[in-house]
Amino acid sequence: MSTIKLEIVTPDRGEILSKDINMLIVRSTAGELGILPRHARLLTELVPHAMRVKVDGGESLVAIGGGFMEVTPELITVLAKSAELPDDIDVDRAKAALKRAEERVAAYKQTTKETLIDIARANSALARAKARLLVKNVPFN
Amino acid sequence: MANLQNIRRRIRSVKSIQKITNAMDMIARSRFNAARDTLLMNLPYVEKTRDIIRRLMSQMKGLEDQSPYIMTRQELKEIQERADGKFLFLVIASDKGLAGAYASNVFKEAHETIEYDGDDEGSDTETQEENFHKRNFDAVKDLKKAPRQQQLKATKGVATAGARRARPSGGGSSAGGNVGVAKEYNDAGYIDDVELITVGRKATTHFKQRGYNIIKQYHGISERPSYQYAQEIANLIIERFMSGEILDVTMIYTRFNSAISCTPDDVTLLPIITDDYAANTNTKEEYIYEPDIVSVLNNFLPQRLATRIYGAMLQSAASELSSRMNAMSNATDNAQELVGKLNLYYNKVRQAGITNEINEIVGGAEALK
Repeated sequence: MSTIKLEIVTPDRGEILSKDINMLIVRSTAGELGILPRHARLLTELVPHAMRVKVDGGESLVAIGGGFMEVTPELITVLAKSAELPDDIDVDRAKAALKRAEERVAAYKQTTKETLIDIARANSALARAKARLLVKNVPFN
Repeated sequence: MANLQNIRRRIRSVKSIQKITNAMDMIARSRFNAARDTLLMNLPYVEKTRDIIRRLMSQMKGLEDQSPYIMTRQELKEIQERADGKFLFLVIASDKGLAGAYASNVFKEAHETIEYDGDDEGSDTETQEENFHKRNFDAVKDLKKAPRQQQLKATKGVATAGARRARPSGGGSSAGGNVGVAKEYNDAGYIDDVELITVGRKATTHFKQRGYNIIKQYHGISERPSYQYAQEIANLIIERFMSGEILDVTMIYTRFNSAISCTPDDVTLLPIITDDYAANTNTKEEYIYEPDIVSVLNNFLPQRLATRIYGAMLQSAASELSSRMNAMSNATDNAQELVGKLNLYYNKVRQAGITNEINEIVGGAEALK
């Protein structure tokens, strides 16, 4: 099976992942994208989500806190605001974060004068928390 | 003959200075370790982003109209033709002194770039780095308003002399008597064309003394940079750039090579000139942009700007602390040496005194015989 190299870097924790994979499924601002080896050059913005990495028939998840992705035929570079492998995630903290984010989103929905930035921020925090729990395979809601 | 008490006093004061410099050395060392770790964690991200920008921009020729941050040098000229543009500089230095030549090296580099007026033959040697300000300047300098050119010529003689006098002390913030000269020089040439954003108290005082127009200053963040400030600076830069008054934005910071070596460096942040990247193109491959080129670029490039500023702030912080570490450990060593010399001298003087006394006693005894 042909492979493509995947590199995930974050601003504060360096290189999170660097390995040859078979397929990557990510969620961009425009929708889900599946990247296979020898993909055409592509640049896109990612939303916070759990991205799926397929290697040798198996599939693992990585929680991404938004960012950008560049694809060249032999290399995928993910510039993530934050990225966490399943082993790095603290379930209790993630649950607490999810709860906080849900409360904040709910609070913003009730206020009449909405500040767009804050809502966007709360929503992205919520998405990040969900992604983390998804990666950890913990049910929520 | 120096008296013993004075020497003792001197030894004591040198010793207490040594204690202080030693303490500062240790503080700098532990902060430096933290700063270096943060920097090393950030480095891969900045490098990958730069790689992507290089690949992306080499394919960007002909697509300049898709983003306000990207243009050809020709367009830069056209902007200058429409209105007289300014240059914006971001200078990253330290809040505190006692870091050897750290701050003055930054200022030297900054002056060299800011005061560039198009007659530097050596500019080609610097082009391996991403400093395109000089090229940008060369492109528009003939279009710059005429009075400036005349002014420059008229004051050139005084200017160079003034500059030469001002430069050596230009490093420290205590230029004192040279301020007047430096100001005169700057007023004549480029001061109206330059806006500055400074990070670090030292940078602010240095450039304020010389009469530069500082549009925003950041203090207290240089040693422990946070992304939030980088973002804020990036937003400010973008706001200024989008106003159309700014021709290009250049950042001057200190690149951290190793614990004993750091070099001041300057990079041009905006606009991204496609001509500079087109040179190393070998393939022409279209990029796909999801959802579309305009929105991806307009999100990606500002993001890139912020990460780049953040990276530079981390580099500068590590450089500052390593410079301070070196300066302080040198100071400690020198104090040690000085104490040794003074001790030797003290003992000599003491011994001379004893010998004298013995001589007097012996002489007195002889006289009684």
